[in-house]
Amino acid sequence: MTRLRFYLLALGPGLVTAFADNDAGGITTYSIAGAQFGYGLIWVLLVTAVALTLTQEVGARLALATGQGLAGLIRERFRVRWTAFAVLTMLVANLGTTIAEFAGVAAALSLFGVPPQLSAVLSASLVVVLLARANFDRIQYAFVLIGAGVSISYAVSAYLAHPDWGHAASALVRPEITLSNAYFLTLVGVVGTTITPWGQALIQSYVADKGLGPRDLGPVRLDVTLGSGVLTNLIAVFIVVACAVTIFPTGATIESAADAARALGPLVGPSATTLFAIGLFAASLLGLATVPLSSAYFACEAFGFERGLHWRWAEAPIFYGLLTFFVAVPALFILIPGLPLIQVMFLAQVVNGLLLPIILVFVMKLAREPNLGDLRSGRVLYPLGWLVTALASAMSLAFVATQVLGI
Amino acid sequence: MPYLSEIHHRKVIEPNGNEVGTLKDLAVVPQGQFPAVQWAIVATGDGEKVVKWSDIAQEIGHLRLRHRLESVPDASLPGEALRLSRDLMDKQIVDTHGAKVVRVNDLQLSEIEGQLRLVGADVGLRGLLRRIGAEGLAERVFGKRLPRGIIPWHLVEPLDSNTPEHGVRVTVPRTKLALLHPADIADIVEEMAADERRQVFEQLDVETAAEALSEVEPEMQASIVTDLPEERAADILDEMAPDEAADLLQDLPVERREELVELMEKEEAENVEELLTYPEDTAGGIMTTDFVALPAELTAQQAIDRLRELQPDPELTYYLYVVDGQRRLDGVISLRDLVVAKPEQKLADVMDPHVLKVDATASKEDVAALIAKYDLLALPVVDARRKLLGTVTVDDVVEIMLPRGWKKRSSRTLAR
Repeated sequence: MTRLRFYLLALGPGLVTAFADNDAGGITTYSIAGAQFGYGLIWVLLVTAVALTLTQEVGARLALATGQGLAGLIRERFRVRWTAFAVLTMLVANLGTTIAEFAGVAAALSLFGVPPQLSAVLSASLVVVLLARANFDRIQYAFVLIGAGVSISYAVSAYLAHPDWGHAASALVRPEITLSNAYFLTLVGVVGTTITPWGQALIQSYVADKGLGPRDLGPVRLDVTLGSGVLTNLIAVFIVVACAVTIFPTGATIESAADAARALGPLVGPSATTLFAIGLFAASLLGLATVPLSSAYFACEAFGFERGLHWRWAEAPIFYGLLTFFVAVPALFILIPGLPLIQVMFLAQVVNGLLLPIILVFVMKLAREPNLGDLRSGRVLYPLGWLVTALASAMSLAFVATQVLGI
Repeated sequence: MPYLSEIHHRKVIEPNGNEVGTLKDLAVVPQGQFPAVQWAIVATGDGEKVVKWSDIAQEIGHLRLRHRLESVPDASLPGEALRLSRDLMDKQIVDTHGAKVVRVNDLQLSEIEGQLRLVGADVGLRGLLRRIGAEGLAERVFGKRLPRGIIPWHLVEPLDSNTPEHGVRVTVPRTKLALLHPADIADIVEEMAADERRQVFEQLDVETAAEALSEVEPEMQASIVTDLPEERAADILDEMAPDEAADLLQDLPVERREELVELMEKEEAENVEELLTYPEDTAGGIMTTDFVALPAELTAQQAIDRLRELQPDPELTYYLYVVDGQRRLDGVISLRDLVVAKPEQKLADVMDPHVLKVDATASKEDVAALIAKYDLLALPVVDARRKLLGTVTVDDVVEIMLPRGWKKRSSRTLAR
């Protein structure tokens, strides 16, 4: 068992995040992008592939050099007040993500006729069981495997539907932009679900907790590039293409999980709904096993409170308090009658996209600190990282200006 | 009793009341129980200026220089000086009493016999609230129940964040860390950066280092051993129980493993190499090659003399194995039976010939089950020809039987 685990872990955070990234919000947002705009947003995935690789590498370097998570470094460099701001940003974004995961479970189970109220209770209990299980590593890999299965299903389904590959490829490099509010909204969602605040926290905790050091830069970089950069976005491309072929031409919009499931039709025909439900369910649970935990961890690392599941309740009350908050509030939220689950999942990604630049600014300001030694971001990585941050900021500001202030 | 956060950023004035800057930092040499504040770093219009603390008087609301700024001699900080704000505030420290890593929210200073001294690190909620200026408010809401969470300075071990920007600081030997239980040291190093971990394992005495390394999570063990200088790594491996050294070596790249085994002492190296030939999840893989084997013709008295000479580790002493000329296992004697036997009795007459044993290829779960069922402290491992290869002690199987995460949990809650 230890041996097996070692190899699985050696596959690295990239692979795990690749599938965790395509969580409930991911599948939904990519589906909406493909269904509403065909190949119109596919170019964004090429940009996010590069951007995600860059920001994840910057984060990995921080952890390799210092052995600390993002929250700890923010605290040491920016002191208490800025840390409080960073933690608040992270928690708001993650709360959105967690609500999306709960909505994902509810949407998946709704395809089997389970009412969302029951799903909420069910998923909350499932999270508690997941976290209480001592060997939840293995369960996590089960989800990763299901996630991989569903991703492959999308790829095969896209292939069977005979898409215009030439068109898809050209749209990847030659953006077909539509100037509309809906297009912009979806763009923010796609960016927000691919490059996430919690993803930035996760890569660092992962590297730090494994005790990796400066000499591991090579393998970690490879892993980040292949996992986060290539795999995450490749899966996203297949989801977009599958929806672009099957749903976009019909002019339908995705209002429910059943609509989104149609993209798997070419592969499994009438069983598409079942396959989609299983995939969405597993993806949501993988997210639920990760996001609340990493949120509580982030806040407690920043403020120096005891953290981790090896503590007892009385020893780490703030850690467990936050964890409870992150399970209870989303569960209660899902209890709201008549909640449009798909919209909730999608909007949570938009919120993530809007808050992303704040976290990226912190990451980039840490990237050239002298205590990183040789792991400081260099002459290529550093300016490119800031470019990503600038683009993300411009996107957020433009969004706020156009959609919120109505300029 | 002032806190650093309260005097930090105070105005610094000249004797005539002329404002020349603000207090940026205080510096101490981290020696003794409560180190004295010796220097103040003042942020002036043209950069930082280091001033002797004795050239400054504390007054209400500000600090007054005893002389005009230009006539105050320029002091410089020695390499081992710690700057409180830059090097300690918001950083991680080791609370050596609670044996855990915590973060500094504020620093407590106190005037002791006319000398301002660093007396404690505030790691509680109160310190955090004070930093954002909400301590008073919180006190009104929660009353005095707000916990204080101050660790007296003599129980604090700073973690060296080793910032090259400010020149190399002389590494303070981690004497307080070395006094902790190796299992606690293991928990603490798991929270350090790779470089810092290497320093700790270079500084600890070999014996403590070996015990601590045995307690570190397996994945991290490999990375620590890879970072250490080879000679040092080999010394630590020599000191570890052969089965644990073998487990560790198994996780290293073949090349590195061979280099280290090469550098180990001959006897230890042979033991480890033998252990490496068994799969990890078998009796052979978890056994240790340390055990006490005695020939059957010895008398009880001779056997006791032999023990006195060997001075075996405590967990290996309770069962003594009786072997023939080919080291085949013939029987077992408990320490108790040996002690109560008449001095001239032969071991062959005292031993229990019906000894429970397992084959080296038995699964480790079976071994654990046997040990649990018969309440054994150790179980001998033999090959197909009954030759004694090693023993599996109860501490090796406890980890198989406990769910993941348990070891850490119990060590943290029961130890106090």
